[in-house]
Amino acid sequence: MSLDSIYLKQEREAEWRADLRKKTKNKDRMLIQRVSMPELEPEIRVNYQDREVNSGLTRELAMQEAVRCMDCANPTCIEGCPVSINIPKFIKNIERGEIQQAAAVLKETSALPAVCGRVCPQEKQCEAQCFYVQKLNQPAVAIGHLERFAADFERESGVMSVPETAQPNGIKVATVGSGPAALSFAGDMIKKGYDVTVFEALHEIGGVLKYGIPEFRLPNKIVDKELENLQKMGVHFETNFIVGRTATFDDLKEKGFQAFFIGSGAGLPRFMNIPGENYNGILSSNEYLTRVNLMGAQYEETDTPVLHGKRVAVIGGGNTAMDSVRTALRLGAEKAMIVYRRSEEEMPARIEEIKHAKEEGVEFHNLCNPLEYFADENGRVNRMKLNRMELGEPDASGRRRPVPMEGSEFEMDVDLVIVAVGVSPNPLVPSSLKELEVTKWGTIVVDENNMQSSIPEMFAGGDIVRGGATVILAMGDGRRAAEKMDHFLQKKYAVN
Amino acid sequence: MTNSIESLREIEKAGAGAVVLKSVFEEEIYLEYAEEMKKLGPMDNNLEFLDYYDYEIRQGNLLRYIQLISDAKKALSIPVIASINCVSNQEWAFFAQKLEEAGADAIELNMFIRPSDLSQSSRENESVYFDIATRVASKINIPLSLKLSPYFSNLAGMIRDLSFAEISGLVLFNKFYSPDIDVEKETVISADIFSTDSDYTLPLRWIGIMAKRVNCDLAASTGIHDWQTVVRLLLAGASAVQVVSAMYVNGIDVLKDLNQGLSDWMERHNYASIDDFKGKLSIGNDIDPAAYMRVQFMRHFGDHD
Repeated sequence: MSLDSIYLKQEREAEWRADLRKKTKNKDRMLIQRVSMPELEPEIRVNYQDREVNSGLTRELAMQEAVRCMDCANPTCIEGCPVSINIPKFIKNIERGEIQQAAAVLKETSALPAVCGRVCPQEKQCEAQCFYVQKLNQPAVAIGHLERFAADFERESGVMSVPETAQPNGIKVATVGSGPAALSFAGDMIKKGYDVTVFEALHEIGGVLKYGIPEFRLPNKIVDKELENLQKMGVHFETNFIVGRTATFDDLKEKGFQAFFIGSGAGLPRFMNIPGENYNGILSSNEYLTRVNLMGAQYEETDTPVLHGKRVAVIGGGNTAMDSVRTALRLGAEKAMIVYRRSEEEMPARIEEIKHAKEEGVEFHNLCNPLEYFADENGRVNRMKLNRMELGEPDASGRRRPVPMEGSEFEMDVDLVIVAVGVSPNPLVPSSLKELEVTKWGTIVVDENNMQSSIPEMFAGGDIVRGGATVILAMGDGRRAAEKMDHFLQKKYAVN
Repeated sequence: MTNSIESLREIEKAGAGAVVLKSVFEEEIYLEYAEEMKKLGPMDNNLEFLDYYDYEIRQGNLLRYIQLISDAKKALSIPVIASINCVSNQEWAFFAQKLEEAGADAIELNMFIRPSDLSQSSRENESVYFDIATRVASKINIPLSLKLSPYFSNLAGMIRDLSFAEISGLVLFNKFYSPDIDVEKETVISADIFSTDSDYTLPLRWIGIMAKRVNCDLAASTGIHDWQTVVRLLLAGASAVQVVSAMYVNGIDVLKDLNQGLSDWMERHNYASIDDFKGKLSIGNDIDPAAYMRVQFMRHFGDHD
């Protein structure tokens, strides 16, 4: 799946790229400041669930930023990309004004470039490996912003490139789930000529892209547009289909499916199991975000309600917690708070998300941890007891362990609490396949080299293997699984 | 031994009056968390998944313990006492409530606030015991006992004052893992974890001194390996004795020997019930225990001049 170095070298030696490198000296490229992403003002955006915070780069800004990229002979940025996008090639296409070409390059390896350009933690991946960061201690080329620009440009142009697909080979494969891992897998397998069906339990395709990530970060219409591309390539989608219940794996095998990719995700909510957590007005981030993001509960005309709160506490420090607290603001909270037991530096959330949350007025109560909830006479939460924490010795994650400060208990008024302390893998597939090996955390055990489970024709990736991880890692798993399943099936059919 | 229903049945059959289940240790949660983190594989850089994972472990451990209590209550007719060892103050009450709900007949708080913690004064250390005892007692309706260490500068005062803190009993004393040194390898190792048959003298002394000065029952723990020691401790004023190491070393049936020995001794000494002799040799209220102990010392070593 990784790009061959000879291939990269050949691509780099293309005349147009050589010309571009000659056009601007590297020392001049280095003088350009990294672009700032235009953002919707906080006071406006907090009123809208469906208006993106980041407005996107203009063509001029994108082309200017693309000049910063020095088209390195050894593009370490690609090593940082879980789906191995040919980063210099797409950026250089932007530099020369060939934006559609840039989008086509993205789609060679990424099924969802507009998604990744928005939600990937590039600062920990491709951008962390950028020459500017590694050697010059300067801000990286804004790879993520450029990726989003190219994908959006293509979509808005109305002329979407459809990657080539091989001749159909008649072999049927299926995915369980339709999130980023499964979609990425489907995108690669359809290109290889397989007959691909994506089975999804919900009524909408997209998995966490639809139900988990709010529209102010990733509009659903963007996801739908990416899905259209897969449909054009020939991927079949079946919604409202629970594999293991609607039909068993054996049923599907009888229908001719030869292999499966399990991408059923980690949508099982976790709670802290502290006193009072059962009171009304305390819900999981999964439920809260799904009601809003997938079911449109913020609109009066929809059937799905969602609890509104004036004083909302979100427990947790990851991206899901940020999504939840910022959603609460948009739903009318007068006070939207993050309660996290470690310091801000230790929060798993992206720095950009924390920054946006603060700009929007979210209060951060770091080094605090809930102990108990209290409710009014109707059983609705109205208060929580917390204690303050201090940081002790590092724990297994390398971060300093939060230790309660004895005698530091205090109380806080709340009327809605969102618990965003992590998720667990979906137990449905493992429970319907007793011979499928799972870890004690409920994740499917796979050979990390080929993403194959203990059942040979079952491959898996994404959150069902990793726990609740990122979109891009899931996509990387999907790509890897596609490559290995292809080998598996080719060998099987060659033998047969 | 107390994690298995089969063993618990054997213990009951051997004549135990009650069982104290192995403690739920809050510290174990962190240790298990640390161990699990070493084995994560694809999840090992997934901070959001890991961040509160210790709560998952805690819940898992608690559910297993609750199941153990429930199964033990179904299998046994003797009381089942759940035991807790926590680090942070608020967890004691939480666990105690859960274990009461699970059906435990009583709760033992296995308490040890490290005297090696240099950041705490002795007064601060001591007040934690009272805070925890009061907090837990306010949350449960079943009997509560505290198992203590002997490491207090004013041990007598602590025992007396704690006995007035809405508890039903005090267990004297905890036995801790002690460090030792392997001189050949020049490494710190663990000393032998089992008590010896002379370890009873410490609880014997303090039960003897305090039995008539407290507002709750006292139970003896550590070093009870034979029936004679059972008798000693009852004479000193203990209402119960806890046996652990003797069972590991000699088997569960050692309980039969202890009960039989006690019974035979009672018959020889014409005692119809334990109440007839319990506390017979504990120090009376009219005698200053400090003076008593000094006199004993002087008499003993005076005779050896």
